[in-house]
Amino acid sequence: MKIVIGLINGMLTAATPILLAALGGSMTYYAGIFNIAMEGMMLSGAFFAVLGSYYFHSWLVGILFAILGAILMALIFVLFAVVLKMDEFITGIGLNLLSLGLTTYMLRQIFKVKGAFSSLEIVPIPKIDIPLIKDIPIIGDVISGQNLIVYLTVLAVIIVHYLVFKTRFGLRLRAAGYNRTCLDTSGVSANRIRIISLLICGILCGLAGAFLSLGYVTVFTEGMSAGKGWISLAAVILVSGSPKGIALISLLFGFTDGLGLFMQRTMPPQFTSMVPYIATLIALFVYSIRLKKKQKIIGA
Amino acid sequence: MGDIIEMNGIVKIFPPNLVALDDVSVTFREGEIHAIVGENGAGKTTLMKILYGMQPADSGEIILRGEKVKFSDPGEAIASGIGMVHQEILLIPEYSVWENVVLGNEPVKFLDHLDSKKAREQVKAKIKEFHFNLDPDTKVADISVAARQKVEILKLLFRNVSVLIMDEPTSVLTPQEIPQLFSELKRLRDNGHTIMFISHHLDEVLDLSDRITVLRKGKKIGTIEAREATKTGLAQMMVGRKVIFESIRKAQKPGDILFEISNLNYTDADKKPRLQNIHLQVRAGEIVGIAGVEGNGQLELVNVIMGLIEPQSGTISAMGQDVIPQSILEKRKKIAFVSQDRGNMSACLPARITENVIMTHHRLNPRFTSLGGKVLNFKQANQFTLEVQEIFDVQMTSGETLFRSLSGGNQQKVILGRELLLDAPFILLDQPTRGLDVGSIEYVHKQITTMRSKQRGILLISADLEELFRLTDRLIVMHRGRIVADLVTDKTNITEVGYLMLEGMTYEA
Repeated sequence: MKIVIGLINGMLTAATPILLAALGGSMTYYAGIFNIAMEGMMLSGAFFAVLGSYYFHSWLVGILFAILGAILMALIFVLFAVVLKMDEFITGIGLNLLSLGLTTYMLRQIFKVKGAFSSLEIVPIPKIDIPLIKDIPIIGDVISGQNLIVYLTVLAVIIVHYLVFKTRFGLRLRAAGYNRTCLDTSGVSANRIRIISLLICGILCGLAGAFLSLGYVTVFTEGMSAGKGWISLAAVILVSGSPKGIALISLLFGFTDGLGLFMQRTMPPQFTSMVPYIATLIALFVYSIRLKKKQKIIGA
Repeated sequence: MGDIIEMNGIVKIFPPNLVALDDVSVTFREGEIHAIVGENGAGKTTLMKILYGMQPADSGEIILRGEKVKFSDPGEAIASGIGMVHQEILLIPEYSVWENVVLGNEPVKFLDHLDSKKAREQVKAKIKEFHFNLDPDTKVADISVAARQKVEILKLLFRNVSVLIMDEPTSVLTPQEIPQLFSELKRLRDNGHTIMFISHHLDEVLDLSDRITVLRKGKKIGTIEAREATKTGLAQMMVGRKVIFESIRKAQKPGDILFEISNLNYTDADKKPRLQNIHLQVRAGEIVGIAGVEGNGQLELVNVIMGLIEPQSGTISAMGQDVIPQSILEKRKKIAFVSQDRGNMSACLPARITENVIMTHHRLNPRFTSLGGKVLNFKQANQFTLEVQEIFDVQMTSGETLFRSLSGGNQQKVILGRELLLDAPFILLDQPTRGLDVGSIEYVHKQITTMRSKQRGILLISADLEELFRLTDRLIVMHRGRIVADLVTDKTNITEVGYLMLEGMTYEA
């Protein structure tokens, strides 16, 4: 039983940052932006989270800093891709590289360390115990006692779904993705919608970053986003942006990640850390077969 | 009726030195249908875009209901009651009709929640008010082009627009859909709406409008009452010289059979027979026309000839060889082809003009390549572009500019130039003058008859019966994928062919 609970908690831990970043990617996906900068936004968020938490001795300030740090990256994206109309893909690559270089540089300049910065003065984001539920055996161990960000993530899934499919903003957001000119001629600035979607993406990636550096550990390491932003991008593309689909894919990925850790007892870690990526490839394969079948039925 | 809009002394210059509008002044009256006619590039659309706030004028003023206005974007124009339906339809196919209509003007409840019930009710009410035959819940992707156009108009009416600008609304419609649009526009006028109607189809203009303003090369030639206007008079105002609408063929004896289709059958993926038992021949020095209501197999016939779809049975031979199994390049040695889909099939819009001009030539003519066909010879290519520009009277600055920057008429001239200079003995023309103005059409027709006198064989598919009667020696009528008549043009008339097109058989009293 303990193993199952451990696996589930491991799954949630691994899924949370991917899910948050992918929800951000979902917003920009619907706005028709080819946004690959979640990786960079997340990394920037992780660094600024530690910075804020360390200097102000407050996890709340840490989260705020994380969001601001990621929004800084989003604003650079806005400047180049929306205002100056540069290629989104190139802007994204540039941003991811900038973020890696910038955080590494600041780590060395501000904290005077190489590789990683950890300190007891960094205040982690608390875990939340839900009264009553925490006392239920098994369920209590899963539903209660999770990190605050985990609960925020569940909320974020619901909010993003509501925003995209139920609101006026969502109608305009998807319109911007389908046909920008149509939205413009309808009297709504498509660029404004695109900028808002990027800023929301920044906020979500900032939360993801804060979870990385202030969640279960209180440390910033160089390049600690370690490809999670790219995986979130894969999740977004795989399910064509659907927030529910993203949640499912992220959990699947988190599960295999946890499974990999579990398998380390019997197998070399270099091998087990491949598990999530192999699972992603298998998911892609299954998805493509399903897509083909669907197309055959339509008779294309 | 009083004046609603005055445009005074409008000047628009596109850098570096193209004068699109040269001191144009037009007055629009409330509750009229006012046609703006002129050749492609005469400045019709530019004038309307200035009124609609899409482009700023370099000088001049706009007076709306007695007050000077200046719109910096379409949103402001719409707020002042002026709306424009563009040539290309701007809707979101993935959205339903009502979603498209309310986009930008959506009713909401708490928390920005879209009030879809209210929105649907409002759209339904508008549909009812204007007698539009539309279902608010269908996806726009699933409705016809004519219905989409209605959705565009509805979208503007939903914003309480009283002045409607229609930019060549009939260019996307089939001939059968046009009367319905016109009766809807007339009903809107009778409700007090003012409609500005851009067109270069003179018959339409005379049928629909109350007054007509003619532009030529950026200058206003005049505004006349439609009931006092004649087609020849208007054409002369537009082009600046006399235009002849009569048949332009000279008697000529046709030569050998160049192109022959026999027993051709094609059934599509849904098991629907699209072409049944097609037989036809085209001789050298002969223009054979295919008449028919659109969607009766013409497109499939073209696609089969060009090898885009594979027929179940039958042969197609050009110059005595069966071309069905041949590669596209082999086919292109014998068949010159102008597609009705200019932007996708005939040309590459984002490429330069020169690149478009030498397409296919670069494979067939060693003049354009060196090192055994590996390297393009741009000196020769540029030279060739100049030749096409010269022979086909293309208005363009240089071959280096993008193809997409040309006006529709000039795009078509470039394509025709490329195809007709291929020296292929057989020429397949699918709607070669669609969307062109009177002057360009006349020009294209002249080129087609020149090809005829050079003993080429020409198969001309057109939805324009007048065009067919003007050019062809023989007329084939298609109905539901079959050839229902093979007529000598001089021995038939428009009424008979029109009847065959609709009914698939000869009228018998």
